[in-house]
Amino acid sequence: MNDSFKPKIIYFLCSWCGTGGSETASAFGLHYPENVLPFRVNCTGSLSTVYILRAFLEGADGVVISGCHPGDCHYNNGNFRARRRVAIIKSILDTLGLEPERIWFRYVAHGEGKRFVDTAAEFNDYIKKLGPNPLKTRRDI
Amino acid sequence: MSKTLYIDENVNDGIKKFLRCILENGKVKGVLTLINEGEKIAYSLISNPELIKYTVPLYPIMPLNAARSLSHITLSEPISEPIAVVIKPCEIRAFIELVKRSQGSVENIFFISFTCGGVYPIKMNVNGKINEKIDNFWRLIEKNEIDADLRASCKVCKEFIPYNTDMTIFLAGNKEINNQCRIFLNTDRAEDFAESTDGNIVQDKINTELIDELKVKRLEERKKLFEDKKIEKLGLEGLIDIFGRCISCHACGNACPICYCSLCYFDSQESEYKPVDYESELEKRGAIRVPPNTVTYQVGRLIHVGISCVGCGCCEDVCPSEIQLSTIFIKGSESIQEKFNYIPGKNPEELIPISTFDIKEFPEVET
Amino acid sequence: MRGAIFKIEKDFDKEIRNFLKKTIVKKFFGAILIPCKVPANDSYAYLLIRDEALIEKASILPPVMPIQGGRVLKSFTRLGKIDAKVAVIMRPCEIRASIELSKLEQVDLTNVTLISVDCPGVIPLSDYLEDPVKGTDTFKEAFKTWESDSVRELCKVCYNFTLTGSDLHIGILGSEQGNLFLIPVSEKGRNLLDFFNINYENDISSWENIVKKKEDERKIKRKEFRENLRQEIEGIDNLLKTFSDCLNCHNCMRVCPICYCRQCFFDSDALNLPSTNYIKRAENRGSIKFPPETLLFHLGRMSHMITSCVSCGSCEDACPVSLPISRVFSFVAENVQNLFNYVPGMSVKDPVPTITYEEEELKEFENPYIETYNIQRM
Ligand code: SF4
Ligand code: SF4
Ligand code: SF4
Ligand code: SF4
Ligand code: FES
Repeated sequence: MNDSFKPKIIYFLCSWCGTGGSETASAFGLHYPENVLPFRVNCTGSLSTVYILRAFLEGADGVVISGCHPGDCHYNNGNFRARRRVAIIKSILDTLGLEPERIWFRYVAHGEGKRFVDTAAEFNDYIKKLGPNPLKTRRDI
Repeated sequence: MSKTLYIDENVNDGIKKFLRCILENGKVKGVLTLINEGEKIAYSLISNPELIKYTVPLYPIMPLNAARSLSHITLSEPISEPIAVVIKPCEIRAFIELVKRSQGSVENIFFISFTCGGVYPIKMNVNGKINEKIDNFWRLIEKNEIDADLRASCKVCKEFIPYNTDMTIFLAGNKEINNQCRIFLNTDRAEDFAESTDGNIVQDKINTELIDELKVKRLEERKKLFEDKKIEKLGLEGLIDIFGRCISCHACGNACPICYCSLCYFDSQESEYKPVDYESELEKRGAIRVPPNTVTYQVGRLIHVGISCVGCGCCEDVCPSEIQLSTIFIKGSESIQEKFNYIPGKNPEELIPISTFDIKEFPEVET
Repeated sequence: MRGAIFKIEKDFDKEIRNFLKKTIVKKFFGAILIPCKVPANDSYAYLLIRDEALIEKASILPPVMPIQGGRVLKSFTRLGKIDAKVAVIMRPCEIRASIELSKLEQVDLTNVTLISVDCPGVIPLSDYLEDPVKGTDTFKEAFKTWESDSVRELCKVCYNFTLTGSDLHIGILGSEQGNLFLIPVSEKGRNLLDFFNINYENDISSWENIVKKKEDERKIKRKEFRENLRQEIEGIDNLLKTFSDCLNCHNCMRVCPICYCRQCFFDSDALNLPSTNYIKRAENRGSIKFPPETLLFHLGRMSHMITSCVSCGSCEDACPVSLPISRVFSFVAENVQNLFNYVPGMSVKDPVPTITYEEEELKEFENPYIETYNIQRM
């Protein structure tokens, strides 16, 4: 593992459970790697595929998405729709040989502060092992 | 007499040397020009001086009119730090027309252009094929001849001397391109940039004999083209014949630098047929083409862009139906532009004729 | 399956035209939407016809597909149906696109009877336009052999070349003495045949058998095609090489029947960023290509519409630099559609995967949580 490599990680959180998880984490004083950049979206179901792709093409080394657990989405089914979109993107990237493993999808509930920081840390380690996203230095995209 | 920069190289290496220099000494933050990497040629905005060696600023290729890209970059705000662009005369003219329409800004753009020998159709660049043709292209420039394979629009272009440039590279009309890089300095900024590099600046007299000769050749081609295609006598029947095969993709408008609307009128709901419209056409004529408005689109587009068409030929280049669009648009817009004595992109101060009027003009259109 | 046997004396195109004429004269249909030769005789365009005399100019199977029929039907019915009943004659992939569009509320099928034809493929538009007379001959050859090298790349490996979601299907394959099969699939199809007292209880197994055989052959060919294409485009280097001539003109999107948005996201102001953004990106990478966002456009477009891609090949026909764009899209589409067990355009009933969901599915795309992660890490 290359220790000097600090990945740039985009963490999309829904504004209810995902963000709630991060609030709980802060209430308990839990820490996550500072190179993980949280972005709040209303619901994972409102996260456009293009934003995930854009983060990925514009140099993020990894993208992780956390919304409410099944049945808990504040808009009923946003997380199920998001799961389909993630599946579509990952399947596209997989088919084209573009490292779908750089995108993660994991539910985090409001009270799960530990799960939120664990996810950030685990994903960060995982991406460190993978190395930098080769797309970020490409000049011909 | 005008100030001229001489760089001790052939024209291609010379301009590259210059670009690298102004990028390295910080005169500009970036250079927009053609880059040829892995045999593929595309416009790039370059900020790393090391990459200048891959550039081909004078290559006879126009993937899409660069005015579109400049407008894209500068639409929401002017560029804050200087960049240099090396683009063709018609690309600058198109950009000036866009700026007149508030679609961009020239601020902080250092314009470099050249006496243009024309470009090849984009299809010739697929898979780097242009690299095979290129030597012949330079040879024909030296001979001051027009290659029959150039874009139809380029073979008949009479505005191949750029307007509104800081620097003009002497390419077409110059027999010495193989052993000299001669750049005319048109602005103070250009002189300043030139002084920061290690070329020689001299007072020079331009010999325009060859340029005049080339212009005559192009005008002849122009006359021949319009006659061959009988553009003036097309009429509605002629247009229907030509555009019958049009697939209404509107690629022509979308590639055209002047067609800047983000939603074209002809793609809007306004021009969509409602069920009653179809019903009444069926009653009236017994049949209707779907989607409708094929010729209407072309005539409408000509009316919208005619005053500013720079004759770049991009519309024809992207047409999947291989319709000879630029011939029609060049002829059509020539007659519009002549009425107003207007050369699009020549004078940035001059208002677009359709955005102004003169109380005493055109009595002949009144009845 | 059962169907009618439609006797053909000489020219099948002509006899179908005559039949269509009758449907108009007898006022069963108020209009017919069908490809016709254009005035200059150098291509085809869809005409909506009420005057039966004009049907003479029509062609059931033109050699080219200049505009995808789905797009045509959208233009005709997006704002609602016309009062008259309309027959639409299209190739199978055009029918499938129309059905996708109806599910996406861009096409109104209420008064429309979709009639499909067994399709031997179409000639690429540019090949045809180079010499329409020769193109027509090439197509005749393809029609005879049904395995031609001159048709669109995707047509060569298409296994949905026959009955898909239409109301009535015209079976050309497998008939003796050049007769055709009229195969009614829905109420609308049956109504039409009933109206003309055509018996559709005949055995059509000769059609079914040959169709099955062809499908199997094509599936094998398609597999080969996939493998070759995979090697050509897989991975960052290959993929970017494939797209390196792309002009970013978006014409592929404009001719795609599925890309129905009036204003594409990738043409919208959302991607018109401040100039500093471009300069910053150029600095980060050394340079950036212009117009920017080529790969984002292709991947983004895919993520929007790939579940409905009908593998028609229209995008490739319209690409000014002839990129293998439809092959790439079709290749990806197959994988994504398999995820949802979805074949676009097969039925109006199965919803488009992007507008629905199931609670228990796609678990393999979730990343399960390891409770002890941070503890193990210490
Ligand atoms: S690009 Fe060609 S086919 Fe497309 S609308 Fe323009 S003229 Fe018609
Ligand atoms: S109409 Fe055609 S030739 Fe004229 S400016 Fe537009 S693209 Fe260029
Ligand atoms: S992406 Fe291409 S092949 Fe797929 S439906 Fe659209 S035009 Fe047809
Ligand atoms: S039509 Fe071809 S050149 Fe234009 S954007 Fe699509 S793939 Fe690129
Ligand atoms: S609100 Fe949390 S996923 Fe929808």
